[in-house]
Amino acid sequence: MSITAETAKAHAHDPAVLCCRAEGGITIEPANLEDPAIFDDLVDSGLLNLDGCLTIEEVLGAKLAKTCDSLCPLTADVVEGAKAPSVPAKEAPAEEAPAPAEVPAAPAMAPAPAAGGMLRIHIGEGKDIDLQIPVGALGAGGAEVAAVPVAGAAAPAAAAAPAEEVKEEKVVRTLTRKHFKITEVKRGPETKIEGTTLTIREGIEAEVIADQELVKDFHLEIITPDLYHTYSETIMDVQPIATKEGEDDIGCGVTRVLDGVVMMLTGVDEGGVQIGEFGSSEGYLDENIMWGRPGCPDKGEIFIKGNIVVQEKTNMERRGPMAAHTAFDIITQEIREVIKKLDDSLVAETQELKQVRRPGKKKVVIVKEIMGQGAMHDNFILPVEPVGVLGARANVDLGNVPVCVSPLEVLDGCIHALTCIGPASKEMSRHYWREPLVLEALHDEEIDLCGVVFVGSPQINAEKFYVSKRVGHTVEMMDADGAFVTTEGFGNNHIDFASHIEQIGMRGIPVVGMSYCAVQGALVVGNKYMQYMVDNNKSESGIENEVLGCNTLCPEDAVRALAMLKTAMAGEAVKAAERKWNPNVKSTNVELIEAAYDRKIELEKNEQSLPMSQKRKEKYD
Amino acid sequence: MNDERLKYGGKIIYMEGVIVAVDDCSISIDLKGRLGFFKAPKRMFICDTEPKVGQEVGFNMSFPEQLGPEINEKYVSNIEKERRKQDEMRKRLDNKEV
Repeated sequence: MSITAETAKAHAHDPAVLCCRAEGGITIEPANLEDPAIFDDLVDSGLLNLDGCLTIEEVLGAKLAKTCDSLCPLTADVVEGAKAPSVPAKEAPAEEAPAPAEVPAAPAMAPAPAAGGMLRIHIGEGKDIDLQIPVGALGAGGAEVAAVPVAGAAAPAAAAAPAEEVKEEKVVRTLTRKHFKITEVKRGPETKIEGTTLTIREGIEAEVIADQELVKDFHLEIITPDLYHTYSETIMDVQPIATKEGEDDIGCGVTRVLDGVVMMLTGVDEGGVQIGEFGSSEGYLDENIMWGRPGCPDKGEIFIKGNIVVQEKTNMERRGPMAAHTAFDIITQEIREVIKKLDDSLVAETQELKQVRRPGKKKVVIVKEIMGQGAMHDNFILPVEPVGVLGARANVDLGNVPVCVSPLEVLDGCIHALTCIGPASKEMSRHYWREPLVLEALHDEEIDLCGVVFVGSPQINAEKFYVSKRVGHTVEMMDADGAFVTTEGFGNNHIDFASHIEQIGMRGIPVVGMSYCAVQGALVVGNKYMQYMVDNNKSESGIENEVLGCNTLCPEDAVRALAMLKTAMAGEAVKAAERKWNPNVKSTNVELIEAAYDRKIELEKNEQSLPMSQKRKEKYD
Repeated sequence: MNDERLKYGGKIIYMEGVIVAVDDCSISIDLKGRLGFFKAPKRMFICDTEPKVGQEVGFNMSFPEQLGPEINEKYVSNIEKERRKQDEMRKRLDNKEV
């Protein structure tokens, strides 16, 4: 298929190949050339050899020396009067997008335009003719990587910036976290905290069971570091234990939090079937938890682990996991009541989080897509207590529409995650409490983080597009200069993930997309706005490795995404990623950022640092 | 990467199936032609309208291929633990009902 002058310009430094048969003596125009987006497939399948091929820029306007067939690479011996190549404008500190954003078809399904590479349709006479041609076969593949809309958007923003540069930073609100250290957790006659010892009332289990009709049994375990090598059912959630002081709302005022201890929820139904979807992290805790991920426990912490048994066959129904989370909160709430009464002398550390607006700087919004397909693909939004249940609304009940929150609300536990997606890419409640992208963006003095938008991912496509259009309008009315779109897990949520990016991108706002992709989570759809992608993968082989939290968004991903968005907002080019997942792209980007910002980026460990479980040894590595 | 371990991985076949059960987080599919059954998370299922029993679905797949003769004891023990637990819990459930 021939290309337009615009495409030819965008691909000036890509190989020039004839799209159809051309007679000797013609002047080569964009219309004679094939779209370079399809070359990878053709080279892979051996149909095309680009050795010695001139670039599009060199051949445009030159004369074709002899008649050539379609898909003929234009080399020096068939072109007369080729121009000298200019220096490719790729010298800028450009990052590469690691996710194969615009490859909708599996690489194995290479298009087969073998017979001369020509699609010839002749219709003499007829009506109501429907022609269906696989997009991949024509090579369009949705792969129009045009830098035009981005450059257009970035330019006015850049022009506007200097005039407003003088404005001062404004602290909108602050959130104080008072940390209380806990070194021992035990059972006793009443729930209390003495010094650094937390005691949980014996017999509290009965109240958990009585609270919800669906909860049939409950066991509480206290897992200290020496018990990490304990067998556990699949982990449904990891939550911080925190409470608000007085009448303070989530996201402002004072929050009290216990350090050194986390709540961990596991569950099965009466028939012994795991609550949870399919991927599971059951097994020995120390082999199945990626320590230190934002959503996971840190090594050395004590887990208050509750195993809930829900009514038979409700494990796959929405009410089952909801009941489990609600009942488990009874224990957390009792601890919260105790924390509220603690004396300030026990505060080990005070931390102040400021929501800073930086007028005049590039305005950036974070859109976080959360699961909303139903059942455990759900989240409680904005409870009264951090990561609580009371007062919260499930995003499925809200219709998955965008909900705008302040960055401090995110860090103060405004999301109680019910998501039971694959354990490696699951964002647990604790993840939001320590959300790395929000923290990084909030502290970055070069940008103005205006807020966070949560949007659910519904099951059916019609609803997906309904919510993503709302996202587009929400971001539009913010007058944002740049946006992040992140998602957890993979699957049909990538459809709305792509749609959110499109909706924001088509308004001329550069968007950086963040998701676990790599090998198994490869995107199923793409569009031309998906040029800036950051892959959250950490696993060695790029797969869902059943290790809790392994492939979730980490500080290193946040740094890369921020650097990429700044590059995009400045109108600089970001190189397209290779077609197949290549982990080296990420390491090159990290090196580039380290050099440009003169800072060392600590890379997170992956599953290779855990004691090797037999399961992983034999199956994956 | 594990796909290199497949001998016949390149053979992709178009298949159809019928939705036989839907719950809040999964769909179950009978493959047409009595070729088997599978259950998958809803989030891995792409649909324009609400999935319902009796709807037909299509997908590309290949044949599952054994990666090697070794038995992974870890998985065996997990399955065994799971089975024992389910037996126990089932007994308790039966007793309660009596």
